[in-house]
Amino acid sequence: MIGLFALLLGFPLIASQFQLDLANQVFLAVIGSLALMLLTGYAGQISLGHGGLLAAGAYTVAILSKDFGASFWVTIPASALSGALLGVIFGFPSLRLRGVYLAVSTLALHFIVIYLGTEYETHGSYDSGVIITPPVLLGYSLESPRAWYFMMLLFAVLAWLVAANLLRSKTGRAWRAIRANETVAEALGIGVSRYKLLAFVVTSSMTAVAGALFGYYRGFVSGEAFSIFIAIQYAAMIIIGGMGSLIGAVLGAVFVTAFPYFIEYLLFMLPGADQAANALFAVNYAAFGVVMIVFLIFEPGGFVGLWRRIANRWVTSAPNVVAVART
Amino acid sequence: MAELEVENVSLGFGGLRVLREVSFSAVAGEMLALIGPNGAGKTSLFNCISGIYSASGRIRFRGQDLIGRKPHEIAALGVGRTFQHAELFPQMSVLENVLTGRHARFKSGAWSEMLSLPAMRREEDAHRAHVERIIAFVELQWVQGAMVESLSFGTQKIVGFARALAAEPTMLLLDEPSAGLTREEREDLAHFILKTKEALGICIVWIEHDMQMVADLADRILVLDVGRTIACGPPEAVLRDKAVIQAYLGAVDGASVT
Repeated sequence: MIGLFALLLGFPLIASQFQLDLANQVFLAVIGSLALMLLTGYAGQISLGHGGLLAAGAYTVAILSKDFGASFWVTIPASALSGALLGVIFGFPSLRLRGVYLAVSTLALHFIVIYLGTEYETHGSYDSGVIITPPVLLGYSLESPRAWYFMMLLFAVLAWLVAANLLRSKTGRAWRAIRANETVAEALGIGVSRYKLLAFVVTSSMTAVAGALFGYYRGFVSGEAFSIFIAIQYAAMIIIGGMGSLIGAVLGAVFVTAFPYFIEYLLFMLPGADQAANALFAVNYAAFGVVMIVFLIFEPGGFVGLWRRIANRWVTSAPNVVAVART
Repeated sequence: MAELEVENVSLGFGGLRVLREVSFSAVAGEMLALIGPNGAGKTSLFNCISGIYSASGRIRFRGQDLIGRKPHEIAALGVGRTFQHAELFPQMSVLENVLTGRHARFKSGAWSEMLSLPAMRREEDAHRAHVERIIAFVELQWVQGAMVESLSFGTQKIVGFARALAAEPTMLLLDEPSAGLTREEREDLAHFILKTKEALGICIVWIEHDMQMVADLADRILVLDVGRTIACGPPEAVLRDKAVIQAYLGAVDGASVT
């Protein structure tokens, strides 16, 4: 644990600009995937609105900093608040709809948020997106990936703490009970509607904050950055990582974020790589699809499920080792 | 003063009439067995009391109307229940399952949980200690930390019973607690139910198919058949009742249900 922290804190000293940028992307993805894990992996509610929620956070920063000159200390809590508000709206359909129907309703809300955002862009005549000036904290301007690294790390750790604290208390148990059986949960005294909405609110709020950080980090907010593919990527993170596990959410975020770079690296090792460069996008999407299918078929428990299986095999054979050692 | 008063409760799904004008009452400290052939409407009656189905008629618990309330509100009023197939929460330990049953007794809010405030942690510890006592009461300390999927069906049903007790209910609805249990497990269960009744003096309504257990434990028996009450009274009388025997066996002269 301490070793991990030392590694995370010392990383900027040895890492290149490119590696730091990748790390920052991973931290952002970790916040979003932890949030989605609470909603889907624990409370059992499916959502495809993640792109819309990230966009909501980014647009909150864009509007507040551009039109009102608001500082980082205002925009971040404001984006958390707008996320929470959207969470109530995203959550309302969950009181009536389940499974794929719920997913479709959240998808509709995704498009509404993106629509409102692009409307803002056109009316403010920010034709190709809103440019956001880097925030200044304590007289220090956050511009380089190195400066952002600690900010992103801090928010990722906070997201982890909030999620872990909720999960080990009453709320976490209520969510898992709802995922298992709503009727039974309700009959045992759990206000199912309330806890579903709470799950949407917490998830949406965390995700919007990730979106706000993303907006600042990129220095640029545009509706095109938040396609429906983002929602699919986040769903992939929690599936590949392992449903119902926070560590799974982190592993999935690392994997999905690093994956395109890995594919690119592999592709350029091939002979005739220069021609292949055009096909990079297509290869990327295809490889991503294949990985998703492989996980869904062979290891629906994701990385965490895989690890548990290996660990179980090792543990069950362990007593023999002990017995042999005794004799 | 009756704890539970059910008056003219009827329930239908489309053209199917599941309950027809069922009336009965139960008092504190009483064990009322609810029996009847399959499809008689026993579980449906439970679901009406705990608010899962909305019935017509009147259901009063400790003077408060239950019809129209949400199930979690009814549970918070003190109505605890178990389920025919245990319905434990998988991927949770025995302790967590029983703690979940105590949900309505927690006061701290989501903010104090997110920040893991000391007051919230103290509350959690106090509830955990209480739940550990309940687990000891049903003699399941040996599996306290085990995941519930790894337990036998019989043990799972006892965990379900402990989960219902965790809310400190003033009335318990037990849906076929002994179904699927071995002889030994049934004896343990009967022992726990009696101990609960003695220790807490609460009203227990319980659906049961094991007539020997009914005859041994029940203070009164309510018999349902195709949604109607056909008998209600002390075991000796009810189990010899002509209408009851007919419902169970088809007309047999001189027979008894036990």
